[in-house]
Parts: sequence; structure tokens; C-alpha cells
Amino acid sequence: MTRFRISQAAADLPRRGRAQAVLGAALALALTLFLGAPAAAAVSKDTALSSEDKVCLDCHAKPGLRKTLASGESMPLYIAPNGFAESVHSASGCEGCHSDIDVKAHSKEPSVVKSRREHSQGLMETCRDCHKKTMKQYEDSVHSAQVQAGSAKAPLCSDCHDPHATRSAKDKTGGDNVACQQCHKGVSQAFAASIHGASGDEALACKDCHRTHNIKAAAMGDHLKDQCVSCHREVATSHAQWLPNTARHLEAISCPACHSPGTTRRVNLRIYEGTAAAQQAAEKVGVPQFVKLASSVDPTGSGIDGRALWSLLQDFSRDGSDARTIVRGRLEVQTGIESHSLAAKGKALKDCATCHKQGAASFQKVTVSMAGPDGRPLRHGATDGILNSVESIGSVGGFYTIGSSRIKLLDVMLVMALAAGILVPGGHLVVKLMSARKRKAAIAEAAKSNEPTDRS
Amino acid sequence: MAKLYINPLPVRLWHWANAVLFIVLVVTGVQIRYLDLFDFMSFRNAVVVHNWVAFALIGNFFVWLLFYLFSDKNKAYHPEFNLLKLARACFAQMQYYGWGIFKGEHSPHHMDPYNKFNPLQRMLYQILMLFLLPLQFVTGILMWDIKRFSGFVDMVGGVRVVDTIHVLIFIFFVFYLLIHPYLATLGHTPTAHIRAMITGYEDVEEEAPSAVQATQATTA
Repeated sequence: MTRFRISQAAADLPRRGRAQAVLGAALALALTLFLGAPAAAAVSKDTALSSEDKVCLDCHAKPGLRKTLASGESMPLYIAPNGFAESVHSASGCEGCHSDIDVKAHSKEPSVVKSRREHSQGLMETCRDCHKKTMKQYEDSVHSAQVQAGSAKAPLCSDCHDPHATRSAKDKTGGDNVACQQCHKGVSQAFAASIHGASGDEALACKDCHRTHNIKAAAMGDHLKDQCVSCHREVATSHAQWLPNTARHLEAISCPACHSPGTTRRVNLRIYEGTAAAQQAAEKVGVPQFVKLASSVDPTGSGIDGRALWSLLQDFSRDGSDARTIVRGRLEVQTGIESHSLAAKGKALKDCATCHKQGAASFQKVTVSMAGPDGRPLRHGATDGILNSVESIGSVGGFYTIGSSRIKLLDVMLVMALAAGILVPGGHLVVKLMSARKRKAAIAEAAKSNEPTDRS
Repeated sequence: MAKLYINPLPVRLWHWANAVLFIVLVVTGVQIRYLDLFDFMSFRNAVVVHNWVAFALIGNFFVWLLFYLFSDKNKAYHPEFNLLKLARACFAQMQYYGWGIFKGEHSPHHMDPYNKFNPLQRMLYQILMLFLLPLQFVTGILMWDIKRFSGFVDMVGGVRVVDTIHVLIFIFFVFYLLIHPYLATLGHTPTAHIRAMITGYEDVEEEAPSAVQATQATTA
């Protein structure tokens, strides 16, 4: 209350003249001495606001100030003076972001604002003026791609940052996950109960793994695995102590697939461009090739089989560049909630049979995916047999799991080889035994008939 | 019957080591591939044993290779370029195994230390030792550490292609492991060839006519 009075008095500075300013300052000084140090701090911050800002706050510091928008929403116009004074943006002043406002006409000619979201989206261009690098990162994110695609939920700058109370990035005040929780509620709850979320002061924040502005779709690429390894640097050596082909396992299996107990897994056959490409083949924005081709090779919607996938890859190779389109497989968890339910190391899966036994649950669900226009994967279901058919040699050449994705035709050939290996010698032996008497007789007769010859 | 020194010591050592290692590889390979059907050891142990034994087998291969590289007895592995002659010899050998052997005829092949294989054996062992076995080594090594060799694996069409080749050769070896011991009993006595691979000496018939040939000669 005291501080508000002071700021209001200070806001009137230009109009009342120097004498009144001196009087105001004297009053402030007197109050400071009277109320003590906390008030002194508040006053010093508040008085940091420019006189122009204080003019704005004449109206905008009224808590009930709101505006009804064309969408019918009621947008609060209240700006907490303290918060703003303490924010890093106070240095730029109101005009720093709201330069489009004509002070004289403001509040006299009501401006038309369609919706809060449109208003916030429009003001993001202002953010870019100072935060060029950050905006570039944001525009490279899955959130920005969703905004571009017309999402009404994907976060804008102001959904995570209150522009009128933005603290310095160095000022870690906690509550980092709050903004994420607004949309990712289930994931946040699972994370809070996980080993990383329930470790008190050591608990991680969303941004520790997902970064802040350049957030990528979690199911794409290997960036999240890299985040795991950035802390768990001993991963390769610790797994190599018991896990054969460690590097391959770490490459083809997502961490939660083993470290989230009781999770449901699936095989994700990711489509890549070229054999040496590190990135997933990205679909051109606005050209829903994948959806179109996947529908054409799987008209009944029962899932893509080995032959259909091969045909799909051929179509991609024809349509695309010179690089060959290939498939790389990855074992991953089915939901984001499962990927956040990481448990302590001792509870991690160590039983090879979970994946290497034919009929393993982990291999019963198979999807074919490709990077979509918004950076998230586009998925199409695959048939159960896609990993076990002979066509998989051509279509899923880059993915094979001993035992569980073995080709059935090879099993048939093994049985035939076993049968032939037993029946051929067995049959030969039987004929040999049956002909033994006749053969002995022939040999005896030969020996007899040879005798005179030998004597001679 | 004359005794001929057909199988020198390095060959005999290589052969029996090869046989034991082969059997261990087949057993562990079956356990790895058919975890749903067999449970005589854990998957992990089967993989570890399979890898170590495979490297032992590769090492053992070089015993064979070095011996024959520096021995004049490598003539046994020299290919026959006269295809007509080869076809005739193979046909005669097949005719013997499929018909003549039941009548007491002698094998058309006459063994000597520089020509110990019959034409069918010679062809089979050329394919086996110089193509299938090395190919099995290469595919096995690629799968032993797929990530390390990922460039090469991708070049040949991916890990599934490599595995399929490995399994196809394995299927052939399973068939071979059943046929080979039986054929080894088809000497002049059931144990003649087997003893020869232990002692090195093979009983070789001197140039005497076989039972049937003698009968035919007499009747003529």
C-alpha cells in the first residue's frame, strides 16, 4: 500500500514539477526511515521505473482492470508494479514492447483484440527484437512447429514466461516444471514419482533433459538418450560388464525400455534417408507423403506387412533424392508416461529372454514411423509378421533381434536339413543292411573264383 | 591292404578340435536362436560361450590354413578345371555311393597322400573351407560387435542380411554334421576312416579287383 502510494506520487513527476518531486522524495525518505529497510528496498526498485512507465501503471496497476475481447474472453490488463519493477524487462520500460500503442489515443479509441492467444502470438515478434538467438531456438522446436500448424495449445513465449515479471535466467527461483505441467499433466505426475523426480533437492527439472526453447519431439532422434548419457557417463562401460553387443543395444533400445519397470514396449521402424544419415528422414512440410503412401500400401488398415513396407521404401526412393530410403528399428516404450517412470538402477530389466524369446511381448506391437511436418513422428501400424517374414530381409534389413524376430522360412529350412540329415544316411544304411547278405555272397563267390587265378 | 599316412598330425589336431568347437557352436547357436524351445543354458551364457568358441574356431582354421599353405599336400584342395573330367568323376562317385556300394563294388577313387579326397569330397571341401567357413567367420564377427562394424553391415544390406547368411550356413552345417559321420563309416570297415583320422594311417586297397569286378571278370 505504502509503495503504491509512493509510485503513484512518483508517476506524477512531470506534471507537478520539481518542487513536488522534491517533496515526494522527502516524503519517501521520511517513510523509509519510519518503516525501515524492507520498504527502502521496495522503494528503490519501484522508483527504478521510468516516469513513462509510471504513467502506464496509473491505470494498469489497478487489479480489476480487464478487457473483453472479440472472442468473448476477458483479458486481465493488470500489471503488478512490484513484479514489473523487479523484472529484467523493467529496464526496457513499457514502450520497449508496446511501442505500437499511441499514448494519446490509448483508452480513448478501443483497440480490437481477437483473442488472448492471437495477441500473445503477435507480441512474440517483439520478443525477437532482443531475444534473437532464443527465438531461433524456439522456432526450431516442436512447440513452434505445432503453433505454425495451427495448434491452439502449443506454448507461446508468454505461456511460459510472464513478460511483466520475467526474472533473470540466472535467478533460479524454482517452479521450473509448472509451465510444462499445464499440458503434460500425466507425464509430470509419472516423473514426480520416478527416481529423477522424487529425489528432493537433486530432482531434475523438465528442462534438464528436454532443454527449454529448442524442445524436440521426444520420440525422434537420439537427443534424449544423449541427455541420459551426459550425466550417466559410465553407461557404456557399466553395461558392457554384462551385456553383449553393448553399443548396439544402447543404440537400438531407448533407456526407459529397460529402466521403466513394467513398461509396455514396441518396435518402432524409423524411416531414414540414406544408409549413412544420422538424422531421420524428414517429411516435407505440407506434403503428407507418408500418410498417402502408407494408406496406399495398406488400404484395409490392417497394418503394413513386409512386402508393403518394401514397396513403401521403393516409392520413397523414387520420389526422393538419390539417397536410398531405409529403415532402422528401435525398441521403445509406448507412452510418454512410461518413458518418465524411470526407477532405481537395481530395478532395471536384465533378463535377455524379455526380448530374445520368440513371441516376446515387446515385439508384438510394431509401428512404422517418419518425421512429420511438426517434428513429431507420424506412425502407421505394422502387421505382427513384419519382422518374421522373408520379405523383412529387404524391408527391415537394418533391424534384427535374435530369436524374437527370426525368419520363419529359415526355421522350416532347418527342419528340412535335419530331416534330410537323418533320412538320407538312415535310408542308405537300411539299403546297405538289406543288401549285406547278397553282397557277402558276391564277395565270397568272387574270392572263390579268384582262388585258381591266384594259384596260377 | 597297405597303410598310407594320409592325415598328418596338424590335420588330425585341427580336425578334432574343429569337430568339438563346431558342435559347441551349433549347440549354443541353437540355444541363442531358439530360446523358446530349449533351456540348457541362459541366453547370455550361450552368447558368451558362442563368441569365445567362435574365436577359437577361427584360430583353429589358421592351423589348417598354415599347414596346407606350406605343405605340398595342398594338392588335395586344388580345383579341377577340366569340367568334363570333373563331372565324369563326380558321377562315378555318386554312382558308387548310390548303387555300387550296395553290390560290393570298390570306390572309383584311389586314395593317396596327395589325393586323399574323392571328387565329391574335393569339391565340397573347397567350397566349405575356402568359402562357407570364412563367410561364416566374417558374418559372425560382424554380429559379434554390430556397432563397430556398422558401416560394413549397412553396406551389405543391414544386420538382418548378415544374420540370414550366418543362419543359412548354419543350416547347411547342421546337415553336414549329420551326413559327415555317416560317410565316415563307409570305408572298407565302418571304423576305417575314423581310425585314420586318429592314427593318421588309412588302409588302402592295393590294386586288386573288387568282388564284383572279379566276378564279372571270371564270368566273362
